[in-house]
Amino acid sequence: MEEMKKAILEFAETNKKTKFYFNDIEKAVQKVIPGAKAREIKKAATALINEEKLIYFSTGSSTMYGLKGRGVTEDH
Amino acid sequence: MAFEPREEQKVLKYEELRIYSDAELHNYTDEELKNFKVKHDIPDVDELEKGPWPSFVADTKREALHRKKLAKDRMMIEADVAEDLLGQLQVSFDDGETHWKHGGIVGVFGYGGGVIGRYSDLHERFPSIAHFHTMRVNQTMSKFYNTDYLRCLCDLWEYRGSGLMNLHGSTGDIIFLGTFTEQLEPVFYELGHVLQQDLGGSGSNLRTPSCCLGKARCEYACIDTQDMCYELTNHYQDELHRPAFPYKFKFKFDGCPNGCVASIARSDMSYIGTWRDNIRIDQEAVKAYIGGEIPPNAGAHAGRDWGKFDIQKEVINLCPTQCMWMEKGKLMIDDKECTRCMHCINVMPRALRPGKDTGCSILFGAKAPILEGAQMSVLTIPFVKCESPYDNIKAIVEKVWDWWMEEGKNRERLGELIQRYGIPKFLEVLEIPPMPQMVTEPRSNPYIFWKSEDVPGGFERDINVYRAKHKR
Repeated sequence: MEEMKKAILEFAETNKKTKFYFNDIEKAVQKVIPGAKAREIKKAATALINEEKLIYFSTGSSTMYGLKGRGVTEDH
Repeated sequence: MAFEPREEQKVLKYEELRIYSDAELHNYTDEELKNFKVKHDIPDVDELEKGPWPSFVADTKREALHRKKLAKDRMMIEADVAEDLLGQLQVSFDDGETHWKHGGIVGVFGYGGGVIGRYSDLHERFPSIAHFHTMRVNQTMSKFYNTDYLRCLCDLWEYRGSGLMNLHGSTGDIIFLGTFTEQLEPVFYELGHVLQQDLGGSGSNLRTPSCCLGKARCEYACIDTQDMCYELTNHYQDELHRPAFPYKFKFKFDGCPNGCVASIARSDMSYIGTWRDNIRIDQEAVKAYIGGEIPPNAGAHAGRDWGKFDIQKEVINLCPTQCMWMEKGKLMIDDKECTRCMHCINVMPRALRPGKDTGCSILFGAKAPILEGAQMSVLTIPFVKCESPYDNIKAIVEKVWDWWMEEGKNRERLGELIQRYGIPKFLEVLEIPPMPQMVTEPRSNPYIFWKSEDVPGGFERDINVYRAKHKR
C-alpha cells in the first residue's frame, strides 16, 4: 500500500499533465510495481484522497485525479 | 417476502424538521404572480411560456417571486438566483452559445461523484449564479417516498440552494440545481445525518442504480427489482462514490420484459425479469375476454369504441413469432418460440400470466450516442436465478468490471469495448459458451466466429486458398 501510494504521488508530481484518468495512474503504478491490481491501486488512491494529498476533478461525465495544489485548484 | 431495509429507518416528520412556515411557503398571490416581472429583460425566454405545454420558465418565475418575498436571512444563497438564471439564458439565446463552464474540483469530502461543478462565465453580470453546482440525490427504490420526505428535501434546498430541482434526472436521481461551493458540505450533512439519504453517482462511477415498481405494485414482476437494486447499491458503495472506471456504468432493473425503466436502452448492464417455464393460461378468462365480459388491456384505451374484442386480430396475429393459435375454443401457446414480447399478457392480463420459474435475463452495453451512436444492450445471459443476496449476479458484475477496467480506454463505455473486441471475446471473459438466445435484438444474427478448438473435430483453413478468390 505505502509503496503504491508513493508511486502514485511520484506520478502525480512529475506527469506533465496536472489531471489524469485512473487508467493513467494504474499504468504508472504497474511500471513500478509489476502485476499491481487495479482494485489495490484504487484503494491506495482513495487513501490519498482521504489524506487530502490527491483531489478528484469531475466534469460531470468523467472523473480525473489531480495532485492537491498543482495546476488549477481554485474553484474557477 | 416483503422488501425490508437492511438498517433501521427513521420516520421523518415534516412538522418536526420543517424550515419554513406555511405563511412563508405561500407568500404570494396569483395576482402578484401575474404582474411579476423578473429584473432582466428576457423576451426570448418569455416566448417559451407560450403554447400548450408546461414551461420551466413559468416554474422558475414562481420560484423567483417566492424567493423575492422571503426574508433575506431565510436563504443561504442570494434570493435572485432564479432571476439571474433566466437572465443568463436570454444572453445565451442572444449569443447562440452557452455561458456555463462545467467541471472542477467541487464535491463533498471523500466522494468523487454526486456533485457536478457548474460556473457562470458571466459572473460579474449575474453574480447570484457565479456558482451553480448540481447535486444528485440517490432516489429511493422505485421512487417511493411520502410527502413528508419530499417537503423536507424542498425546504433544505430552498434554504441552502436555489430551490430549483429536477424530479427526476434520467439516471433516476433527484437533481438539486444550483448552489455555491460552501453549501455543498452542509447539504450533504443534512441529507446523510438527518434525512438518511445519500448522494447519487456522477463521473466515472457506478451511477445510481434504478428499478421499476417491481413486486411492490406490479403483478408482472418476475424479480424483486427493489430488493436487487437496494442490495447492489449497498454492496457497490465504493464503486458508486469513488471513481476508478474508464467511464460511467449504469445498472437498471426491469421486473418484466415490458421494461418500464427501459434498462435495455439506458444501462450498461440491464436486468430484465423473465421466466423459463410456460405462460400460465386461464382458459375460462380467455373465454371471458372473447365474450366481452372482461375489457382487454385492463380497460386502457377505453376513450373510444374500438368494436368487439377480436382475439385473432388483436392478439394471435400480432404475436411476433406466431406461436399462438386457437384449438377447440382453447388458446394454445408454443412457449419455446415465445420471445417475451409481453403483448398477449398485456392485452389479457386476467387470462395470461408470466410463468412461475422466474429469474432475469442480463443484457450488456446500451448507451446514448456519444462515440458510435445509440445502441441497445445485447442479450448475453438468457436466464439467471435472482435470489438474495444475489452472489451469482455479483460474480458476473465483477468479471465484467475487471475486464472493462483492464481493457477499456478512457471514456469508453462497456458497449463500445464489446464492439471493439467482439462478442466472442466478451463470452470468454464471462466464461459462458455461445448460445442461440444471445442476440442483439430478436431474430438478428449474433454473428459468432467459431475457433477450430471450439468445434468437435476442429477444422483447417488455408488463408492462401481463401485469398486466391477473395482479394483484400
